[in-house]
Amino acid sequence: MKIAVTGGKGGTGKSTVATALAVELAKKQKILLVDADVDCPNDHIILSLKLKKEKDIFQVKPVWDFKKCIKCGKCSKVCRANAILFIKDKYPIFVQDLCNGCTACILVCPAKAISRGKQQIGTILSGRKYNVDLFTGEMRIGYEEASPIVNALKKYIAKREKKYDHIIIDTAAGTHCNVISALMGCDLAIAVTEPTPLGAHDLDLILNLTKVLKIQSNIVLNRADIGKKELVTKIAKKHNTKIIAEIPYRKEILEQYSKGKPIKDENIAEIIRKIKKI
Amino acid sequence: MKNITILSGKGGVGKSSVTASLAVLLSKKHKIIAADCDVDAANLALVLGLKKYDKKETIQTSEKAKLIPKKCISCKKCLNTCIFGAITWDDKKNKPIFDKYLCEGCGACELVCPANAIRLYKVQNAEIGTGKTRYGFSIVSGQLKMGESGSGKVVTAVKSRVENMAKNKKYDFAIFDSAPGIGCPVVASIQGSDFVVAMTEPNPATVSDLKRVLQVVGYFRIPYGIIINRWDLNKEYADKIVAFAKKNKIPVLGKIPYDRAFVDALVNLTPIVTFNRKYEQLFLKILNNILNKL
Repeated sequence: MKIAVTGGKGGTGKSTVATALAVELAKKQKILLVDADVDCPNDHIILSLKLKKEKDIFQVKPVWDFKKCIKCGKCSKVCRANAILFIKDKYPIFVQDLCNGCTACILVCPAKAISRGKQQIGTILSGRKYNVDLFTGEMRIGYEEASPIVNALKKYIAKREKKYDHIIIDTAAGTHCNVISALMGCDLAIAVTEPTPLGAHDLDLILNLTKVLKIQSNIVLNRADIGKKELVTKIAKKHNTKIIAEIPYRKEILEQYSKGKPIKDENIAEIIRKIKKI
Repeated sequence: MKNITILSGKGGVGKSSVTASLAVLLSKKHKIIAADCDVDAANLALVLGLKKYDKKETIQTSEKAKLIPKKCISCKKCLNTCIFGAITWDDKKNKPIFDKYLCEGCGACELVCPANAIRLYKVQNAEIGTGKTRYGFSIVSGQLKMGESGSGKVVTAVKSRVENMAKNKKYDFAIFDSAPGIGCPVVASIQGSDFVVAMTEPNPATVSDLKRVLQVVGYFRIPYGIIINRWDLNKEYADKIVAFAKKNKIPVLGKIPYDRAFVDALVNLTPIVTFNRKYEQLFLKILNNILNKL
């Protein structure tokens, strides 16, 4: 089964739950953990493991041959990422970090002055600890588009998926393209949230998204004993789903987290029991 | 108008809570406007207790590709061009299928299609809300619609709305609450800022994310400082952050302790400086540290 751990709001405990779930499941089964928060991946920090590079991720980068360029400005016009600046009678100026590699400029150029180069946009890394195989995507700093890295990461693991009993995908916060890319193809989503108006608000958003993507969702309520639980139960009811586990706010959990250890909590076992039923 | 942007790399570090409190204090002596640039999950209005926006408008900053089946000659050129994995092939119909959630609206397929069978259409992908908080200042928030893309461009739209409003109102300060991460919405939030406030917490994951986002801020050559939130949860680690800041000549604007009052303030939809007056001094100090850097 492919399980996504998501939540909408940041800092609700997605990575904490994803790593704990992976470690617990890995005691009996083969588990692949995928850190798809490529902006700021943290699973390896929580597991205290050193990642080694699997491979760099490249994408097409347009390269201009100014001998051929007729200064028509069409490349700049088709570039919806605004990565090509054009001033009349001048050669186009390319802003590499804004380029998403779509190749529209190469396709439109009437003088065939643009060729396909490549630029590194991120890296796939891996590590192993507690019987869990971790694959992490990391976006190159300065590059802006996270979803191509998530897509490359998912393509990379697709070849290896068969070896595992379960795959756990830890998504970024938010609801936009990088989260959508991470969620696609998952059988189940676990939305981790906290009992605050912000947690409830963002939970509503992510449950709307999983509904649109037709992924069954369940809720894990973190720091369950602080704030106001009704806020989250209301959203759960609205989306016809359930809180399958509650993790209390405990100093020991925070300490484990800040020391780089996966949390051990009886509530994680509870999540696993509930997932097995599903 | 001076622009101050609050970010963190990692989510849930307290950006919106701190933005709200700084905005409330700043508004006591200055004309200000607040803006929520976390368009994936906009929360700032909630923290400021705004229940409903006075004005809401839909914007279009994204495009999607669609097929005109009659014209399609099944050449598969679009399939081989799309780098976003948004086009798959329907073997039965021998036609491409466009996935609207993966389509980035780049237009490459439209350009490559020899039969003119692909068109791009504009999508209403976000809403911009404006309203007045009970503290007297206005707030502008962007919210991406479900499953839509283009959050960076939505942030840019939020910021130009602020610029437009500033023409008449002549604000002294605009305060922007950024999304987590280091990608396009964050870069769009940083652009044009006069000062960046980076929030962090004393644990390795949050500091790793802080360092990543500070590298991005560094590209823009914008001055910045850091706030250590919940610093007393791991005092030793907080000391390490202070040492890191000192070594890299990054000003530490303030240290905020852990207190359940912060959660209670959130639940009551009230910024902490209003909810619990004992925090007013601490946040005033942080605010002064920021203003001194501008």
